[in-house]
Amino acid sequence: MADNIFDGTAQDAGELTFDTFGCNVFHANPPTPDRLAPDINFELGVRFGLRLQTPDFREIEVWRFDWEDRPMTNRWPSPAIIMRQGQVVHSTVHSRSNTHTIHHHGIDCSPFNDGVGHTSFEVSGRYTYQFQPSEPGTYFYHCHKNTVLHFEMGMYGPLVVYPPEGPGHVYSGGPRYDSEKLWVPDDFDPRWHTLGHDAGLCGDDPGLNRFDPKYFVVSGVFAPNTLTDPAVVVRALRGERVLVRLLNASYGMLRTTLGLDALVVGVDGRALGRPGSPWSRPFTIPANTPFELSTAQRYDMIVLSANAGTYPVKFEFLNWITRAIQNNGRGIANTRIVVT
Amino acid sequence: MRRRHFLQYGAACGASLMFADGAQAQAGASVTAALTIEPADVEMIDGVRVFMLLFYGASGARPVLRATEGDQLRVVVRNNDSRPHGFSVPGVPGASIPSIGAGQTREVIFTAPRGGTYLYLDPTLAPINRLLGLHGALIVAPLDPTTPAGVITPFSRAAQTSEVRAVFEALGPPGRFPGRPWSPDRDRIWMFSQIDPALHRRVDLRQSINPASVAATFAPRYFTLNGRSGFDAAHDEATAPEGYIGEPMLLRVLNAGLATHSPHIHGNHVMELSGIDAAGAMTVRANLLEIDAWTMSPLDRKDVLLPFERPPDIPAAAYPMREEQFPLHYPMHCHIEMSQTAGGGLYPHGLIADWTILGPTPPES
Repeated sequence: MADNIFDGTAQDAGELTFDTFGCNVFHANPPTPDRLAPDINFELGVRFGLRLQTPDFREIEVWRFDWEDRPMTNRWPSPAIIMRQGQVVHSTVHSRSNTHTIHHHGIDCSPFNDGVGHTSFEVSGRYTYQFQPSEPGTYFYHCHKNTVLHFEMGMYGPLVVYPPEGPGHVYSGGPRYDSEKLWVPDDFDPRWHTLGHDAGLCGDDPGLNRFDPKYFVVSGVFAPNTLTDPAVVVRALRGERVLVRLLNASYGMLRTTLGLDALVVGVDGRALGRPGSPWSRPFTIPANTPFELSTAQRYDMIVLSANAGTYPVKFEFLNWITRAIQNNGRGIANTRIVVT
Repeated sequence: MRRRHFLQYGAACGASLMFADGAQAQAGASVTAALTIEPADVEMIDGVRVFMLLFYGASGARPVLRATEGDQLRVVVRNNDSRPHGFSVPGVPGASIPSIGAGQTREVIFTAPRGGTYLYLDPTLAPINRLLGLHGALIVAPLDPTTPAGVITPFSRAAQTSEVRAVFEALGPPGRFPGRPWSPDRDRIWMFSQIDPALHRRVDLRQSINPASVAATFAPRYFTLNGRSGFDAAHDEATAPEGYIGEPMLLRVLNAGLATHSPHIHGNHVMELSGIDAAGAMTVRANLLEIDAWTMSPLDRKDVLLPFERPPDIPAAAYPMREEQFPLHYPMHCHIEMSQTAGGGLYPHGLIADWTILGPTPPES
């Protein structure tokens, strides 16, 4: 079996590609090819059924990953998986029901370990993805089955790669920072959150081309609570260099305005101006100057202030066609950077 | 006479060449492209037929126009539709035919702009006719593509930034991107668009549509790459990049539609080499970010370098791989995932392409 499936993607990909998409997706639980002893291991199980309370006192279901080998967080977004540059990483998906995958977004690995059903396989039981991150920075992981729905349902979590010596520098010998914050703006269309896991795959029309979000969150916190929730608010001392890791997990353009200058030191898991990349360099986004990220883009930014104060941060969620602020102008999440 | 063309899915949707031989021969040549504007019924990937309006060239629908910087381009357009249309190349002064009446033929002569990727389209009733399918790519080869060190790039020397020169001079020698230098035949055109059948139906029925109202009601159900989607785009030779590690490829990415896309590529990070400024003029980047997702706004055109480097996160101790085999298949897909659907579902039959690494080193020849 093992030899057959390893050969399958290489020489005769027919059965393992789009050809079996739809109601009869190819799925498998093979051993990891070219398996090495890992330096670090993550066991992530698929969990349905967590219901979040919205600011208007409704409930919305999210799907997510949670630990299989340690106490569950029972929270959303899914737990961060944190590793160091050069470690051999094993990340195991436990599908638990139906088929799922984990795609480690921005990690450039082999197709078997990339977690994309239509270029390899979906997982009905468990599979261990293997990779060795070559560049420190901000990534994320998500299910890549019926991605349009599974990603919107919340099946993602942060993935952070530190330099070999750990946090404190953007890369070995690179810009220094004192603390860090992860901002992951996302939006929910409640209509989508009532659909089944395979909605649309069998030729039905669940309207997954239409996205009309009503709720807006940052790192799991619903707006307007983002203004005060410590999970989102940045608190720093004067002169403290805060590394903000910003990921647009919404389905549209994210327009961000910071009340402080931001020095962008990394994009999509690639530090700017690092050795080997002389064609790039960090750049500054002046305070109060809006900038936009499209879905899945990441900016790593260093912010600091010599002066105490409260500096506003605004996230505006823009429609992918009209560029209007979503939900009739209500698609905004505010927070703050508080410097003391 | 047939009223309309019929394009069956997976057939006759490919790009063809115009201007090609004569234009490539020498700079300053006078070359002619003859286009027609035709109504067509086009089959979507789920079998639904949609009324479209398409540019045709001598060898079929959606022709690619290729020229060399400085050429005198004569574009002759015959309108075989029963509605008025036009022709223009945004960002290129003088490249415009404001109106071509039904059954009429009009022409324009303009100088091929500096080397790069351009979009031609029907600007009338914008964005309606462009969305109905009246768009295509104009590829201009630079007159002097070399860096001072003699390395070929996609851009004229006068337009090159020192960063672009540094990247192209790093392609091939030992170091960051060992293998072969980039060559001009290593490119792919990725033309994005979206189709809202309701809009197409209204045009077909000759209903009066206020162009300014289109965006607010635009609800696309098909998301195309070079006129195809899903399986058909992913397996289209003219679309899907293929090569060995060390064979870099240029992706010429255009968005003729009305939705913004966020193409995300697996397996390699890419570099955005060029884009357009606020005035629509091509600009070569001076800070080359290595990214796995980039933004394609409506009417954007960007040149993106896919380095075909060894996927850097395959563990060193597991490479060369022994059990998993070449070729390595990866997707590029838009991450604003509504674009991954067709007819409201059918993931992943939307805006997607596969790319393939054939082997660890280029063959000797």
